[in-house]
Amino acid sequence: MKLQHNLGGLEGLDPITPETKVFVEPWETRIFGIHTAMMALSNHLNTSLPKYDIGSVPTQFKSFWTWGHLRQGAEGLHPFEYFRLRYYEKWLGGISGFFIDEGYITQEELDARTAEFLQDSTKAAAPLPKGSNSAIDTQVEQYLRKGDSPKRPLPSPAKFKVGDQVRIKNVSPAAHSRLPGNLKGRIAEVVKVYEGAFTYFFPTEDGIGTPMPVYSLAFQATHLWEASTTEANLVYYNDIFEAYIEAV
Amino acid sequence: MPSNYPGFKYSTDRETFSSAKAKALESLLIEKGIITGDTVNKILSYFETEMGPFNGAKIVAKAWVDPDFKNLLLEDCNAACEQMDFPEGMSGAEGEHMRIVENTPEVHNVIVCTLCSCYPWPTLGLPPYWFKDPTFRARVVREPRQVLSEFGVQLEESVQIKVWDSSAQIRWWVLPMRPAGTEGMSEAQLANLLTPEAMMGVATVKV
Repeated sequence: MKLQHNLGGLEGLDPITPETKVFVEPWETRIFGIHTAMMALSNHLNTSLPKYDIGSVPTQFKSFWTWGHLRQGAEGLHPFEYFRLRYYEKWLGGISGFFIDEGYITQEELDARTAEFLQDSTKAAAPLPKGSNSAIDTQVEQYLRKGDSPKRPLPSPAKFKVGDQVRIKNVSPAAHSRLPGNLKGRIAEVVKVYEGAFTYFFPTEDGIGTPMPVYSLAFQATHLWEASTTEANLVYYNDIFEAYIEAV
Repeated sequence: MPSNYPGFKYSTDRETFSSAKAKALESLLIEKGIITGDTVNKILSYFETEMGPFNGAKIVAKAWVDPDFKNLLLEDCNAACEQMDFPEGMSGAEGEHMRIVENTPEVHNVIVCTLCSCYPWPTLGLPPYWFKDPTFRARVVREPRQVLSEFGVQLEESVQIKVWDSSAQIRWWVLPMRPAGTEGMSEAQLANLLTPEAMMGVATVKV
């Protein structure tokens, strides 16, 4: 069991810190933008809905990058690291590592440039290089406006229907999962069968990726936790891929 | 008793290093032709000016005054959003499949993403930090009434709480209750009353 897959319901934590800022440090805006650009330039967008002519976009980025890739970076961390790092620190580490692993930059280059900025405050405050081809930015804007819909035709009929009682399978999450671990083995009621099927783009070892039905499931809180450790009059809902569900 | 959990404020050295590393990465990506020098700024500007909680606020205000629109919004959120006179993008990135749930005197809804930070970008923009914090994600699914009270929302025992987690591809948000005393207000005045937190279910709308 990996702690970051089992956040739901952890006890003994602190009161909420209602920090309403989206970014608490200016550098966080930059890594958010880099990730979003990668999403917009990912090589799978030539098969997406809508279909983008991604091959003709003049970027040197030729890789496959989705939320799944970003999330795997965070979920793959040592659990204590996951909690030591603030949200965008995980992004900075995962995204830098991806560019190194894919051969776009080297660790030495990144370290040297970082050291240069740390040692020379003038360089650190200098404007970024201009870069050139604005057709890259046109594609990024197109992606933001038109998206990358995961909805696909249903490959086979949905196995469950509204009103069915189902059980969440006890799958092993491996490096990345879209199943909160605390739901495994729990019973829920199907409250909606979403029309069509949904791809996750990124194939996970625990069985999602290809288009499949998704269900809105309702879990009574007392089916998830001891009644004395949760609250009355509470229903927890989640949208769950069919690969994670079995008949009771 | 509060722990040593640092929350959101870390040491200056740690932030200085992250800042240098993020800039090093971005400058290398520009030099190597992956992105341009404008790419990140353009993305940030998109969320500052075109896709943010100001859209959600106008949609909620319209739903409060137009019952047909409200019915469509609850039935097919994207179709309703597309009717608004907004820039193209209401079904764009992270808004491809949105659903909204209605707060009533009997039912209070709250959204969460326990695995990460899934959020309807076109209507609410980018998520606030508390929503991304593991403490909120862990606690709200089990003890939402207590969590809501820490946000200043006290609910009667008789109110049912529905927590909507997003582990697949649907992006959720909340249609809050219209407060009393707003009968004479215009849609624009109503929209000004809304906050992201109200449209996430951790605040009520106040006049």
